[in-house]
Amino acid sequence: MIELPVLPTMPSEDAAPRSRFWRSVQQLQGDPAYSAFTGSELLPEAQGPPSETSRRQFLQIMGASMALAGLTACRKPVEAIMPFAQKPEEMIPGVPMQYATGMEFRGTLRPLVVESTDGRPTKIEGNPEHPESNGSTGVFEQASLLALYDPDRSRDVLLDGVASDWNAFVRFAAERHAERATGRLAVLVRASSSMTRLALRSELEAAWPGLRWVEYDAVADEARRAYGMGRRNAVRPRFHFDRARVILSLDGDFLDSTDPDHLHNTRGFARSRAVDETGEMSRLYVAESVYTVTGGAADHRLAVRRSDLPAFAAAIARRLGVGAGGAASAWTDHPWVVAVADDLAQAGPRGLVVAGDDLAAQQLAFAMNLALGATGTTVDVLDTGVAEFRLDQAAELETLIADMLRGEVDTLLLVDVNPVYDLPSSYGFREAMARVPDTVHAGLHLDETAVAARWHVPLTHYLEAWSDGRAYGGTMSVVQPLIAPLYEAAHSAIEILGLLASGIDRSGYDLVRRTWGPLIGPDFETSWRRVIHDGFLPGTAHPAVAPGTETVDPLQSALEALAEGGAPAAAATPGLEVVFHADSRLFDGSFANNAWLQELPDAVSKVVWDNVALMSPATARSLDVRVELVNGKHHADRVQIATPDGSVDLPVWILPGLADDSVHVTLGYGREITSRRARRGGNLFDLDHRTDVYGQGAVATGIGVSVAPIRPRSMATVVSESVSITRSGGDYLVASTQDHGALPEDSAEAMNRGLYRQATLEEYRANPGFVSDSEPEPIREDWADYPALWQNAHPADQPATKDNPYSPYQWGMVIDLNACTGCNACLVACQAENNIQVVGKDQVSRGREMHWIRLDRYFVGDGAEGSPEMVVQPVPCMHCENAPCESVCPVAATVHSPDGTNQMIYNRCIGTRYCANNCPYKVRRFNYYNWTGTLPESLHMASNPNVTVRSRGVMEKCSYCIQRVREANRRSNLENRPIRDGEVVTACQQACPAGAIVFGDLADPESRVAAGRRNPRRYELLAELSVKPRTSYLGRIRNPNPRLEHQA
Amino acid sequence: MSTVPHSAQTAQAIDDPPLFGADLSFHDVTELVSHHTEKKTPTAWFGAFALANAGLLLLVAMIAYLFWNGTGVWGLNNPVGWGYAIVNFVFWVGIGHAGTLISAILFLFRQPWRTAINRSAEAMTIFAVMCALIFPTIHVGRVWVIYWTLPIPNQMEMWPQFKSPLLWDVFAVSVYFMVSATFWYVGMVPDLASLRDRARSLWRRRVLGVLSMGWSGANRHWRNYEKAYLLLAALATPLVLSVHSVVSFDFAVSIVPGWHTTIFPPYFVAGAIFSGFAMVVTLLVISRKVYGLENIITVNHLEKMNIIILLTGTIVGFAYITEFFIAWYSGVPYEQYAFLNRAFGPYAWAYWIMMSCNLLFPQFFWFKKLRRSIPFMFAVSITTNIGMWFERFVITVTSLHRDYLPSSWDYYSPTAVDILTFVGTFGLFFTLFLLFLRFAPMVAMAEVKYVMPQADPHFYEGHGDGRAGADEPEVAPSVSPTS
Repeated sequence: MIELPVLPTMPSEDAAPRSRFWRSVQQLQGDPAYSAFTGSELLPEAQGPPSETSRRQFLQIMGASMALAGLTACRKPVEAIMPFAQKPEEMIPGVPMQYATGMEFRGTLRPLVVESTDGRPTKIEGNPEHPESNGSTGVFEQASLLALYDPDRSRDVLLDGVASDWNAFVRFAAERHAERATGRLAVLVRASSSMTRLALRSELEAAWPGLRWVEYDAVADEARRAYGMGRRNAVRPRFHFDRARVILSLDGDFLDSTDPDHLHNTRGFARSRAVDETGEMSRLYVAESVYTVTGGAADHRLAVRRSDLPAFAAAIARRLGVGAGGAASAWTDHPWVVAVADDLAQAGPRGLVVAGDDLAAQQLAFAMNLALGATGTTVDVLDTGVAEFRLDQAAELETLIADMLRGEVDTLLLVDVNPVYDLPSSYGFREAMARVPDTVHAGLHLDETAVAARWHVPLTHYLEAWSDGRAYGGTMSVVQPLIAPLYEAAHSAIEILGLLASGIDRSGYDLVRRTWGPLIGPDFETSWRRVIHDGFLPGTAHPAVAPGTETVDPLQSALEALAEGGAPAAAATPGLEVVFHADSRLFDGSFANNAWLQELPDAVSKVVWDNVALMSPATARSLDVRVELVNGKHHADRVQIATPDGSVDLPVWILPGLADDSVHVTLGYGREITSRRARRGGNLFDLDHRTDVYGQGAVATGIGVSVAPIRPRSMATVVSESVSITRSGGDYLVASTQDHGALPEDSAEAMNRGLYRQATLEEYRANPGFVSDSEPEPIREDWADYPALWQNAHPADQPATKDNPYSPYQWGMVIDLNACTGCNACLVACQAENNIQVVGKDQVSRGREMHWIRLDRYFVGDGAEGSPEMVVQPVPCMHCENAPCESVCPVAATVHSPDGTNQMIYNRCIGTRYCANNCPYKVRRFNYYNWTGTLPESLHMASNPNVTVRSRGVMEKCSYCIQRVREANRRSNLENRPIRDGEVVTACQQACPAGAIVFGDLADPESRVAAGRRNPRRYELLAELSVKPRTSYLGRIRNPNPRLEHQA
Repeated sequence: MSTVPHSAQTAQAIDDPPLFGADLSFHDVTELVSHHTEKKTPTAWFGAFALANAGLLLLVAMIAYLFWNGTGVWGLNNPVGWGYAIVNFVFWVGIGHAGTLISAILFLFRQPWRTAINRSAEAMTIFAVMCALIFPTIHVGRVWVIYWTLPIPNQMEMWPQFKSPLLWDVFAVSVYFMVSATFWYVGMVPDLASLRDRARSLWRRRVLGVLSMGWSGANRHWRNYEKAYLLLAALATPLVLSVHSVVSFDFAVSIVPGWHTTIFPPYFVAGAIFSGFAMVVTLLVISRKVYGLENIITVNHLEKMNIIILLTGTIVGFAYITEFFIAWYSGVPYEQYAFLNRAFGPYAWAYWIMMSCNLLFPQFFWFKKLRRSIPFMFAVSITTNIGMWFERFVITVTSLHRDYLPSSWDYYSPTAVDILTFVGTFGLFFTLFLLFLRFAPMVAMAEVKYVMPQADPHFYEGHGDGRAGADEPEVAPSVSPTS
């Protein structure tokens, strides 16, 4: 028999304490006879079951089990869903609303307008009203949408790794606050422009006498440091490329999305590249160690090792008459130096020198700008009005860590920083944290620092919480949330700081409004509504410091710094150098868990899902490492890079045009984010676990290698002493979206085919229509020339066309190659707008990436060994009028619309892939697997509801954002007017900071796109195929210096 | 008896070697062929069948895996949207050319030697087309809506797009399959009747009785039969040429450099005949030995097929060279690059396999000794099929992998699923072929008998020339055609 000793046998009534209720006096008195009488109703021998368990117990257990078993099946959902009993004003279901807000990036705010569909943010754009944005964005703003719905975001407050709650944290903070007089609090935060945070800092300082406030960024902004030396307030330089005629960049990648002022720079630069009425345009010289998009945009580019850069800059400075003190070097009479210096001197105030991550180069650039008289014209030094708190963050961190190790910090608050990961490992931050009794980490993820901290508080995404900030130029904005925090425990940085400052849990909204009270004057509510509606407060830009008020001679300090750091103007120091860069996709690693960015091809190397050690072919040869192309896949050797601080093991990638003996690595990889999601299991038959990029824990975990172990303590971006690099292995698969063939030959073939057309300014002046030179005379077809078998055989007269007449709108696109820098913003914008899925490293290496617009990168001239030029060409669908894809589809799944776009009918497609084969531009993308079927639930919310999510087995491609066209159709129909020029903006066009993409109605001769089509520089890609593409290109114009050109 | 096969003999020269070996009687032929379907199944057959069935199971498993996961299990990528599936499709369709060509075209051209081989060649055709039809079906991304390629009236008012060569394929291949199957079956009716008459068991007799459609050998039956056979041959003949022409349109109609070529239809048809004959040689060299049919399928038959292989191989090789010339002559850089890339690019190995197998090796058949050597012809038939598979691979993959924009260039390599699916189709093919060998008369007995010497009405009078001659006794005095 089954023994079920589960329930204790009922205590006999006499053993029970005296109950309040009694049945008889005998019972009350505990009479044994009574007990014997009432104890059982059966005879003693029949009493009780054979085992310990009574029949009654058995039935009880069975009954309970049955009831519980039944309950599991009929559990009601506990989520409360509620309809809008009262519809919010102005909200129409299905019609997106737009809200102005902003995203903090590198300590400044990027003003945004975010689209919200039925209460969830679905697309991010720049704020077109804002003086700094012009409606464009970079890759990070676009991709930050995905971060909101990141399935790996942390959800709970954790105390010692165990789920706690916000109230517990509030109690903890209140306790600490009560002891603030003696408590030693240290706060480690990122640089920020938030006025509320600034106010909270003062509040904290007032409340906590022992406060340590350290601002720290893994990627330092050396320009602020160079221009701010000796000043009381923090400053930042703003470059006006549109006013410049001659620009020199010293390893400064000012056109990349990682630049703090990228949008302004790109727009200004694009403007300066347009040939003006006088037939002039700017000229860009770039001296850089690695290949960047800025180098690609250059008229002259010289590969200079990063360690040589100060000497190189000093040589130019010398020629410009600054710093006669600088010693002569090998660069002094270099023809490039001479030509550039002369050109700059000639340009005078319209010359401009910019630099990158190197402090000495920045200082020299500043000195040269002063000498040229460029301050005030091409460069403004903006006064942020904030007393500068840090000029040397490495020194501040050193002292903080020393204090932590000595036990002089009681409470350490880390807000949105991840020093355990991104500080150079030699700091030993994790060990230092262990010495602090209370460490509090607030962040979006359960990251490396969160795991090491005692408390972890989930941070809100910027679209979930109130905040504020100032754009690069200073204009103030309120960051308004579009959605309540997805996870209840999440709080914003200002809320957490505010809690520690006062011990009271205050809402971010109140904190921000309190800050803004004095800012916007008496009629607060009206002005406040105005500000959050517009997204900014006009007239709050930072003033420029008057030229000539420098308190420290930048040149002098640069030379001093160089003298300290070794031989300043000496010739190239032999030996290898390692240069650290912020990754153009993951930045410092804070964007690492973003699959869009992981799969965004690097602008130059086109590598995805990995960080690689970039080097020139000659360097690779001398290190005896190779990247072998086997069956279309890149198998790279690995190298062990050892610096005095440590060593890492990285795969190699070889690029032409890099300085020799210079090895480049990027930050941001090798993250370890803890995800609570279950790993997707799999079996031999089902491949979902192999094709799902979200299937193996956090996206970023295990991708690439962290370079923190080899970063120097000084956080300098270059290490050139005692670097050793040795081959440590081979056969590492690197996924790249281009270069599946031999690199130099491919590019040469592309240029031979006239896919990318460019001319020098001279040539353009002589022959504005240079783009057509290589084309045969177009065949002018006249219908009358062809014998007609039937009367009225013209397509326009055929019944099918008559039933469905041509639309008055005929959409087309013109892409100006002279403006495009290849910054990738269009690609991510397209991905966000059109629900384009990521496929993961393995699938990219198989050539199955899904991007609808790609940036084709070719190298021109000079071979792989020299310093070839780089050109970039965005290729979306061309929407051919005579589309080769359409005629080959057996089921008519791709057809032409009356307004001239080539449309893909997903639910008709059966997936023969014939259309993709027959597409000469290869812009069609096939869903080889069910990419959307495996998406975590939260990511579905990021989808644009106006774009079909594609399933397995169908073809897809650029649609010219047909959903936006149709929206404009509806709007204009309702308003009974034609669509205005510029009313329909494609996602790529909207994001493009250079304004390189123009979309519009070709049937309207006044439209911008029609004007673009009349531009003599216009050409069609593969025009000779007579597919009549609707997308066309404007040829690029280079402006080389004749002196250097002749030498080359 | 009909006049058709008899008058075919008029073309024969006197000193042609006899078509069949030994001194076979009609009965010998019937016995030789029929007893294979009647005897106890040999153990070796079971062994072969088990092997073929394993291949078939592999095919089913690979297709199930494909349907479950998606087309991604193959090695396809963005520039190369067609790989093994389409290569295999064209390969099998090509093989499926020989049978109908032998039965129909050689019938119309009065080639008596075809009678020994046409039945098995036709069977091969039908089975090869069945293998071929699998691929366009499974290669689509959404196989569950493959019927949208058929013009089925529906409530969506959606119709296939008749401009697409893929749709032409659907019609061309399915019609070819239906006509070939009908032709094969009609030709088999007299032989099925022979089997029926020999059948011992009731069920065998009944089944064969139904299949032989009441054939009694009556004069009227023969007349109707031969009319039908002639008409079907006339119907099948253009299909032999059209089906591979249409398959070639899949490529020729596109604008991909290397595909966009007007030479494709004749070049594909020649290639198909080339590969089809090679496959027939492969199969017959084995089966005539295994089934002791050396006297019916003689070396003479094989030699004639080898001559066709030599001819079509030379045509195909000529086409390869012409393509190169035209690429240069056209002045189109994309076209020029595509062909140079074939010969010297990453897939050069495939190209040179193709060139040596298709152009070089068959040239040895200029030597009579070699084209009558069984081991040699077997080797060449195998290399020809390898070469023809690679021809389709070269055309499909090397053209796609590097077309107009170098940024999109990539490399295609098949996955294990690709390869095993192809292997699996051989399982299907041999499963069907073994069933055919076991249950159907593998040689067209009736047709062989037409062209045997005994078919000459004067044969037994002893003044025949030893072979069947024109027999027009009702019209003219009996005169030997050779006298």
